[in-house]
This record gives sequence, C-alpha cells and structure tokens, in this order.
Amino acid sequence: MHVAALREEVEAKAAAARATYGGALLRLLTCGSVDDGKSTLIGRLLWDAAGVSEDQRAAVALASHNRAVNGEKIDFSLLLDGLQAEREQGITIDIAWRYFETRARRFIIIDSPGHEQYTRNMATGASHADLAILLVDARHGAKRQTRRHAAICDLVGIKKVVLAVNKMDEVGWSEARYREIEADFRGMAGSFNFAQVTIVPVAALTGDNVVSRSTEMSWYAGPTLLDYLEAVDPEAVQTDTPFRMPVQLVLRAAGDFRGYAGTVTSGRIKTGERIVDARSGLGATLRRISTMDGDRSFAAKGDAVTLVLDTDLDISRGAVLSEVPRRPTNADVIETRLVWLSETPFDPEVGYLLRTATDLTPVTSISVSALVDFETLAATPAHACSMNDIADCRILLGRPAAIDLFRDLPLTGNFVLVSAIDGATVAGGVITWAQAGAPQVGDNVLVLNRELLARGVCADLGESPADLAEFHRRAQEVAALLRSVGVPVLIEI
Amino acid sequence: MTALTSHLKLLEAESIHIFREAAAQFRAPVLMYSIGKDSTVLLHLARKAFWPAKLPFPLLHVDTTWKFRDMIAFRDRTVREFGLDLIVHTNHDGLARNINPFDHPPSVYTDVMKTVALRQALDAGGFDAAFGGARRDEEASRAKERVFSFRAAGHRWEPRRQRPEMWQLLNGRLGKGETVRVFPLSNWTEGDVWRYIALEKLDVVPLYFAAERPVVVRNGQLIVVDDERMRFEPGEKPVLRQVRFRTLGCWPLTAAIESDAVDIESVVEETLAARVSERAGRLIDHDMAGAMEMKKREGYF
Repeated sequence: MHVAALREEVEAKAAAARATYGGALLRLLTCGSVDDGKSTLIGRLLWDAAGVSEDQRAAVALASHNRAVNGEKIDFSLLLDGLQAEREQGITIDIAWRYFETRARRFIIIDSPGHEQYTRNMATGASHADLAILLVDARHGAKRQTRRHAAICDLVGIKKVVLAVNKMDEVGWSEARYREIEADFRGMAGSFNFAQVTIVPVAALTGDNVVSRSTEMSWYAGPTLLDYLEAVDPEAVQTDTPFRMPVQLVLRAAGDFRGYAGTVTSGRIKTGERIVDARSGLGATLRRISTMDGDRSFAAKGDAVTLVLDTDLDISRGAVLSEVPRRPTNADVIETRLVWLSETPFDPEVGYLLRTATDLTPVTSISVSALVDFETLAATPAHACSMNDIADCRILLGRPAAIDLFRDLPLTGNFVLVSAIDGATVAGGVITWAQAGAPQVGDNVLVLNRELLARGVCADLGESPADLAEFHRRAQEVAALLRSVGVPVLIEI
Repeated sequence: MTALTSHLKLLEAESIHIFREAAAQFRAPVLMYSIGKDSTVLLHLARKAFWPAKLPFPLLHVDTTWKFRDMIAFRDRTVREFGLDLIVHTNHDGLARNINPFDHPPSVYTDVMKTVALRQALDAGGFDAAFGGARRDEEASRAKERVFSFRAAGHRWEPRRQRPEMWQLLNGRLGKGETVRVFPLSNWTEGDVWRYIALEKLDVVPLYFAAERPVVVRNGQLIVVDDERMRFEPGEKPVLRQVRFRTLGCWPLTAAIESDAVDIESVVEETLAARVSERAGRLIDHDMAGAMEMKKREGYF
C-alpha cells in the first residue's frame, strides 16, 4: 500500500516540523475595510499553502472563469464567500471559517466582512481569534472602518495584530508609500493594548509575500505572512491565575450522585482543596472530579468536568465556583466597554439582561458615558449608542453577580447584553471595573449582618449546610426587596 | 484515561461545553442522529457531557427508507447498547406518493424525504433545539454557521441575519416562533473526527471500511447496490469491487471510493492524505450551485 506508506513518511516529517514550531493551534482573524482584499488574501493563503482540495480547486477555477472579474485569473475569494448572496454581490456578508494545516501548525481562519453594516459579524469572528490580520489597500491606507475594526480587535482582547499592506502592485511596489502607512498605523496602534504589531507589504492577487517571498520588494527584510503565522506564539500563557469554574448545570444520577458540570475558565484545582461559591460565600471541599473516562485528581483551564463536593451547596447554573483566597467580586455595579451589535439603538426604557459566563442577570439600568471616536480613537462624552458604536457604559444589576475584570480573567470578565423582549444579543463587551454592593458602608446604608437576620427572618435556622444556604438565600431576598424601594443595603454575614 | 492529543482534547471540551449550554437553556432538545461517523462522535460527546446522568434528550433519526441496511442494524445496536431513547420518523405522505431517488431528481427527493420529514418530526415532538453533527469544514455554506444557529418560524435559516455569537457565550433566549440548530462539532475537521474515533476506539458502521461490494458505475461515481430496489440501466450489471464510503446517506445517492483501507488506522491515513473533499461523494450537493444553502434555508440541518 504505497499511498499509506508515503503518507506515513509525510506525517512523520510534519510531526517533526510541528514539534520544532510548537505546533499550537492558531485562530486567525482577517479584517479591514471593504474591497481591501481580505477574501482574496485568505484564498491565496489557502491556495498556496495547500489547504484546498482538488475538486474545490476545479470548482473555483470554473466559477472564476464564469465571473471573469480578473480576466482569466483565479478568483480566490470564491473559496470563502459561501453564501449565494455573497457570490452574487461579490461581497462578504458573514464570517467564514476555514481549517487547514501546514507543516508547522494547524490554523483556523476566520474571514470577516468589511462592510460597516456587517460589523456585528466581524465582532463575532474577532472574539474567537488569537491574532488578527488587518488589511489595508496600499493606495488608500487606513480608513475609518479599519480603525473601527482595530478598536473591536482590541476590545475583544486580541493582543497580536498584523497589518497587511495589500495591493502593493498597485502602488508600484513603493517603499515610500509602505513606510508612510507603517508610521500612520504605528501611531494609531498606540491607542490600543496590543502587545505585538507586525507589518507586512503584500499583493494577495499575485501572491507576493503571502507564502512566497516577493522579488519586487527587496527593500523588505521581514518575514512573509505565512512565515510569521507559522512562527507566532498564539497567546501569552498566564500562570498562577485563580481557579474559576462557572456552573453550567447540576447533574444528578443514581447512587445520590450530585455534581456541578462546567468548563474550567482559569487556574486549576485538585481534589481535597477548598472552593467557594462567590455569590453566596458558601464553601466546600472538592471530593471528586468526575468524567466518563474515570475520576481525575486535578482539573485545569479548558477542561470540561463535573465537580462533586463534600457538602451540598444550594447552588445552580450561574454560580461561579472559585478558589477561596482570590474570589470574583460579588458585584452589582459594573463599568464596561461594549460594542453595540443590534440594528435597534440602545434604549434606556427597554429591559436588558446581562449574560456573563453562565449567569443571566436582570439589568436595572445602563448609562452610556462615552463613545469611541473612530477618527481620533479618543473616548468622547456621550449618552446614547447605536449599531457598530463602541461605548463605555455603567451597568446597575438587579442582583449581584460573580464578576472578574476582563484584563485579569477574560472568560469570567466578558458578557453579552440580551434583549428581554426577543432574546436577541444586542451588545458584547468587557468588564473594566466592578463593585460589590453599590453603596459604601457609612451614611444611610443598611448593613444586613448575621445578628440582624438571626433575630427574626432567620430565627428558625440552625447550623446545617442546608440551613446556612437558606440563611444566605433569605439575606439576598431581603436585600433585593429593600433595594427595589431605594434602600441601599450591604450584606455582611 | 484516554490518550487524546491536546488538539482533540480541546475540541472535545468545547463540544461538551456546547452540549451542556444547550441542555441548560432549551426546553426540549433532541439529537439528530444520522448513524454516520459524525453522529457517532456526536453521541459519544453527548454521553460524556452528561455522564453519569442519562442523556437528557432523545435521539431522532429521519429514515428515508433508503438507508443502507448496515446503517439501520448499527443504529439499532447502538440504541440497545447505550439504552437510548430513539425516535424514528419517516415522511409517510412522501412514501405514499412514492417519492424515491430513482424517479425524482435529488433536490425533490431530498426536500420531501429529508427536509420536510425533519420539519415534521421537529414540529411533532415540539422540540425547540436540535443537535446536529454538521462541521464547518464540510461545505461553503456550513462554513458560515454559528454554533447556535437560529431558525425563524417554519425552520427557515436566514444567513443574512445570524445572531452574533461572541467568545464562549452562547445565548439561547428564543424569540417568538424561533428554534435552534446546535452544532457541537462546528470546529472539527474530517481528519479530527477519524483521529478521535481511532483514539477513543468507537464503533462505526462497517461501510466505512473497504470490502468487496457490488458496484455499478454511473457518471463516474461508484454506486453500491444495497437491495433489490436498484434500477439497472440496460446492460448494467453489478461488479464486485473493493470500496468504502467517506460519508453515508441514502444508498442510491452516496458514491463509494475505491480503497484498501480495511481498518481504522488505514482509514485515518487515507483521510489525511485525501486530495478530494469529503462531500464530493454526495450526489445531492451537486444538483445546483448553492444546493446546500438552499436546503438549509428550507429547514435542512
């Protein structure tokens, strides 16, 4: 079976190459303004780096001929624009996901639309990416939509950005033009939290500096796009982050099995360690980490597991199990930066829900304080926001939720806003500041402490775990009732 | 403990997360089980997601009555082995009208016996969410799918109006009349599916492995004659050839490939070396440009 034998050899070589490169998966976003050539660039990358099967090649070659936008050339964008409307109109409407492997690593390419009206789709794509390729047309440089896309990449937490200066063939491979765009972009990138900015001059249509080094731009000494993508480290691995596992659901099974199912979003945990439910403050010891493949002694970030505790905390979906020393804030006021995704503008009269990791919290009020200006990239005072705006907002919650700051723990510090009317996702954002119990201890704040509650409301409760859980539940309910009539309350038990 | 690669572990955890998010948020989910390799992985991941509890939803198989006999036998064995709750649905109206893959073009046959049948079954069961084994790497319109793919009343997919889906946050709040298709295998490739089957030692339908089967060649495609309903062209006679399948569907519409891959290891090797995409053997996808998107708009998964 010579095919298999051949393949074995190829696989062995590939495995060795991946080992030297690290081989980690890279999720890659392409974005930029319309007509800057995103789909063509990615199509070219797939075509040249062998991510396209023979029947797809044939189909694209045939369709290109029918469309004949580049004369007899291959129209690479046909590899990605999979919707009929996209093919008919020659534009990208929604993100396309492509999967391929090179000798060095696996890639997921997320190709996003450039049109302003489809920015919500670009934001969806960006939130799943480790790295963004931002495209500009060398003739035009960065446009308003380029800056908006850069701001969204920054908002969703992308730390590494490549500016691909495309269509260099159209400016006569001019180094001066490239340097001009480079300086402009370096200046603009200073407004963001990017950790690494790389700039590559390319021509997607001819393939220069995409996979093979250009013979036209000898003045450029940096890597080709593929060289860079194969070598880059996908994420700065954070060490020593606190343990978090948002509870997705409670599993019950025969033999009194009761476990909390979820995915660990940060840190790690071992059996025998103490964990706490951030919202109620109730603690327990981790007895088992259960999976269908057998019990485990520890779980770490990314693991989907089921935790069994030694005592029954009365908690359900939405709770965040965390380590004891470094807990999330049990917040009811948060400051956020969000991108508004809905065609319907923000309306303070409409009901919204805050969806964090697995929790859905009613929102009492949202106030917009600033909008990002896509010309200057500065935040300017504002009170309203609508589709595609990036806004800074303060959100008051109807009850406390377990919340981290996005810059510390992204997966328990991000959120989407959900319309209470039709369930639509109207905005996505990150938490920049969180505070427990809106008021400070001091003037006019009712402090609900243990003594106050044990005197009457909880007089019938003892010390058992079930009673303690009930104690906390009643405390939260009393606080909610008082807050609803405007009494500032702090729970201290 | 399994010996999964770090990449497969990542995919597995992501799929389990998706299953749990859907089970927690939807009132009445159902798992669309179509017996093939993707369904096999889908079912295995579902069992992992809720273990040691039982699956909190039934399986649904839309039976066109033209599936390979080996598929039905495998389905029934799987249901018995894992104690699953299986609903089998056939469009009896289509059957009464004798809609079949020989007399009708693939688009008509698929619409009546698969798409309409699926809509009937979902409506009859009052399901608000249906898990499917679709992967984004399969086909151009599927490459555009969300993990929670919302469908308007009548199960219509509106690709221009997909809900934003940011980070790991899957918002399952439904609007009036809306239902959802959930795709836990969105980020898996064909190669991932086979590597996972091999490493997790999962049973699959024997048709995926090469064996001598009775074959006729039509338009360059190898059609395996699975039962006596085959319509032979004049002079056509089945010849025994060593073949296997990359995807499984209705036997008159699913082309085999010539192969010597008789076991899982050689299937994995062959898949990773393949130069032709998986759905090239799906005759229904070639009926017209954008065929899959049309089917999806009408309610196919």
